[in-house]
Order: sequence, then C-alpha cells, then structure tokens
Amino acid sequence: MAQTTDTPRAGLAAVFQPNRVVSANTVRLLIAVQLGAALAFWWSTPFEVLPNPREVLAAIHSLWFEQGLGSELGTSLGVNLQALGLTLAISLGLSYLTVVPFFRPIAAAVAKGRFLSLVGLTFIFTLILGGGRPLKVSLLVFGMTVFFVTSMADVVGQIPKDQFDHARTLRMGEWRVVWEVVVLGTADKAFDILRQNAAIGWMMLTMVEGIARSEGGVGAMLLNESKHFRLADVFGIQIIILIVGVLQDYFIGVVKQVVCPYSHLTLERR
Amino acid sequence: MGTGAFEYEYGATLLKVDGVSQALGGNLILRDVNLEVKDIRRPGRVTGQVVGFLGPSGIGKTRLFRILAGLDEPDSGRVLIGEKGEPVERGRVGVVAQHYPLFQHRTVLGNLVVAGAQAGLSGREAKAKAEDFLRRFGLEACEARYPVQLSGGQKQRLAIAQQFMCSEHLLLMDEPFSGLDPLAVARVSELITEVASLHELNTIIVVTHDVSAAIEVADTLWLMGRDRDENGQIIPGARIQDTYNLIERGLAWRQGITTTPEFMELMRVILARFPTL
Repeated sequence: MAQTTDTPRAGLAAVFQPNRVVSANTVRLLIAVQLGAALAFWWSTPFEVLPNPREVLAAIHSLWFEQGLGSELGTSLGVNLQALGLTLAISLGLSYLTVVPFFRPIAAAVAKGRFLSLVGLTFIFTLILGGGRPLKVSLLVFGMTVFFVTSMADVVGQIPKDQFDHARTLRMGEWRVVWEVVVLGTADKAFDILRQNAAIGWMMLTMVEGIARSEGGVGAMLLNESKHFRLADVFGIQIIILIVGVLQDYFIGVVKQVVCPYSHLTLERR
Repeated sequence: MGTGAFEYEYGATLLKVDGVSQALGGNLILRDVNLEVKDIRRPGRVTGQVVGFLGPSGIGKTRLFRILAGLDEPDSGRVLIGEKGEPVERGRVGVVAQHYPLFQHRTVLGNLVVAGAQAGLSGREAKAKAEDFLRRFGLEACEARYPVQLSGGQKQRLAIAQQFMCSEHLLLMDEPFSGLDPLAVARVSELITEVASLHELNTIIVVTHDVSAAIEVADTLWLMGRDRDENGQIIPGARIQDTYNLIERGLAWRQGITTTPEFMELMRVILARFPTL
C-alpha cells in the first residue's frame, strides 16, 4: 500500500522513493523546482544559436500584437476542434460497431491506416476535396482516426465475457448490452484515448497547415518562421501551441472526472 | 410429510432439468443430466430452497450453470423453471458470478434501478423497489457509492440484490465461498440462508468446491461426476451422480452442525467420492 507523507521533510524524502503518494503542496514545489531548473538550463545553454527566454518572450509579444498570432491560433483551434469532433464521432462509432462481425475488418483496415504517410495521401485528398479548410480537417481526421480506432477497438475487444453475461442475466437484449457494457462501460477509457488523440492532432496540425496554407493558422506561421530561421519566433509559437494543448488536455481531464467520477477512485495517485 | 428433525413437505416443482446433454469441440461435457428442485414447505415458516452443487474442477459445473441460467442452449434436453414449468430464458434466472460483476459506471442505487427497469418497472417503481432492497441487504448507507468503493461482502450483497430486482425466484451463485476465511464463509452462508428465506419460492443453487460450507448452507446436495465402465475407464460426459437430502439426515436448517457425527460422516462420504468422480 502506498504511504502518504505529512511533514515537509518527509515529503521531500518521499519524492525520491517508489510508490509514494505526496501532498499537493509537494507536487507544486516539485513542478516549480523542475521548471526553474529547466529555465536555468535554457538560459545558460552553451548553444548560442538557441534563443534565450527573454528573446522568446519578446518574440511572443511581437507575434501576438503585431503579426496576428492570436487570430492564427483561433483558426488552428477551430480546425483542431472540428477535426476532433469528427474523429470522435467516426472513431467511437466504428469502434463500438466492432461488436458486429461485419464491421471488424473495416475497423481493422482503418487501424492499419496508421502506417500510411499523410504526405502520400495529400494528393488524393486534394483531388477529392480541393483545398483549404476541408482538406486540412479531412487530413487531421484521417491522421487521428487511425490511431483512435486502433486504441478504442482494442478497449472494446478486451471487455471480459462475464461483463456481457452479467448484462444478459439482467434481461438486456444484445443492443442494450452494447449500450450498457460497451458504450457506457468504456466511457472513461474513451476520454483517455481522446486526450492522446487531441495531442496527436496538435502535432499533425503543423504538417497539415503547411500543406494547405491558404487559410493560415499557427502551423503555416511556424513553417514560415522556420523557413526564415527566426528561431525566437519558432520557439514562441511552439510554446503557445504547448500552452493551448495543455489547457485542452486539462479541460478533457476535467470533463472526464465530471462524467466518469468512478474512474479515479481506485488509483493510487489521484 | 418429511421425516427429518423438522416437519416439512414438498410442493410444486420449481426447477426441472430433463435429459440435458452438451458437447464442446466434439467432447461430450454433459451427458443426460436430470435434476429436480421442489418447493419445500414448513408449517408456519417461509422456507426457500438451497442446493449445494459439488464436483471436481473441470467436470462441467460451469457448463451446466450457464445452461441453467439460460446463457447457453444445451445440444439436447431442456430446462424448465417456475411452478408452470416454462422453458428457461436468460434474465429469468439470477446469476451471481464468482467476482460479482456489476456496472462499475453506475452507483449502487443505479445498479439496482437499471435492473428494475429491465424487469419492466417504471422509473419510480424501480427506485422504490431498489431502496427497499438496499434496506433489506444492509446497503442503504452505500447507495451513492460506486462498486469499486465497496468491500467484497458488500459487492456480493449488491450483486444478489441486483439479480433479485430483475429475475424471479431462482438464483445461481458461482463459488461464493472462494478465497474467504472461515468467518467470512459463515457470513456468506448466513446471507444465503437469509436470502432464501425472503420468499417461499426462492431457490439458490450454490456451485462450490467447499464441501463443508455446502453441507452447512444447503438442504440438498448434488454431486457431479463421470461414470466408469466395467474396466474402470471414464465414460465421457458428466451427470449428477448423487443427490443427498440433508433434511432427512438432520443437517438442514440447524446451527452448529459441523461438530455433529452426521456432518462428519457426510463429509467423509463425499470427500471419499471425489477421487472416483
């Protein structure tokens, strides 16, 4: 059983021992110390080619107030959320439908799509969709769906037989069993997979917005700054993307706790 | 009228297994299984039926368990339940599996209400019945908790209550004594007796390896095994080889039987039978 720590001294000793639960204050202290150490390392880095934190802050200020980073970020966030919504609907639908044998090969084929390169598919998507936002959204949806279906179909496939039988003994028909055991019973895991894929979405966004630049977005901006070797701007945009991604991840986590309050009850580290 | 230590008589047949056979992958698992459970009536008392179902591991108890629950169809034969002798359908027989599967995403109350709704009750009726069951099963303080927050004993009671919310009077319990210490075994035995006594027609079939606990809690024992031919070779397919009427042996409905000579003798007989099954 994990031990908790009460005194600050015991708390500090515990952070170096396995399977110890530390207080929220100790966690905050840990984050502050590690962040400080990372900033100090960054500030004192011997690689002079890297911009220092002050230059990056100045770049962010300039990007935000003079170059329209806020507006570009809004565009990217819109694309990301639209793609995430479509991915969620397609992936969950397809994963849940793996309970029907007919859909299993389709889901398996979609999951294998994760080995394909987006760059190689761009030509086909462009021919079908033209360009602009539909192209960006569809590429992102493809990129996220193949991973989402892989994880979610596996979650559905791993549900033990006794859970299905339990629902059956309560007079549930097979579709009601699917709703209770597969859909409701795996909701907490669907949130975890959504968090992973939302992050994958931000990672792919740069590539996708680089392919279809007409609408702009932080990805297009990032590629532009990279092309001109303005590293402070590149770092600034990356930091902004990181902050937005972390906030989105936190928001999904909060929604999970509200919708699935049972999911963290047995965890050692809550 | 029975001749045991207590007055009793048999009423209607509540469960009848008629010539059930089942093969799995070409191997005969169950061969012509025939069983009957009748309502046991005692003057001035509500008495349910408790059957202890014993047999070595891998003999086919789980197969028969699933057929009795209506979860699997036998290759031949039939299972009839209730006083009218209707063919079993899943949902009409309660099943409490070994690890008490419950809906982890629903609260204790939610687990009972959803089972009530499945039995055709309106939302209000299901909630009222669920709250009644929470009181009867001593779970009223836990109604807002989730199954992961319950102790093993509480989960077991919730699983039984959930099945009775939905099913009729027949309940199958798979290994309810597995992994329990003697005190916990006694508590579970008490619970089974209590649940059986809630209604005259309540019938609980307890699948177990624990011979002692089965004798303590049951009024009837079934012993499952495979026959042997004249050369001592096993004949494929298990069936109920022996049925022990514990009422006639003076071992049913009594406290503290474990030190009686009758108990010791029956234990000896059954344990001696196991290697031959």
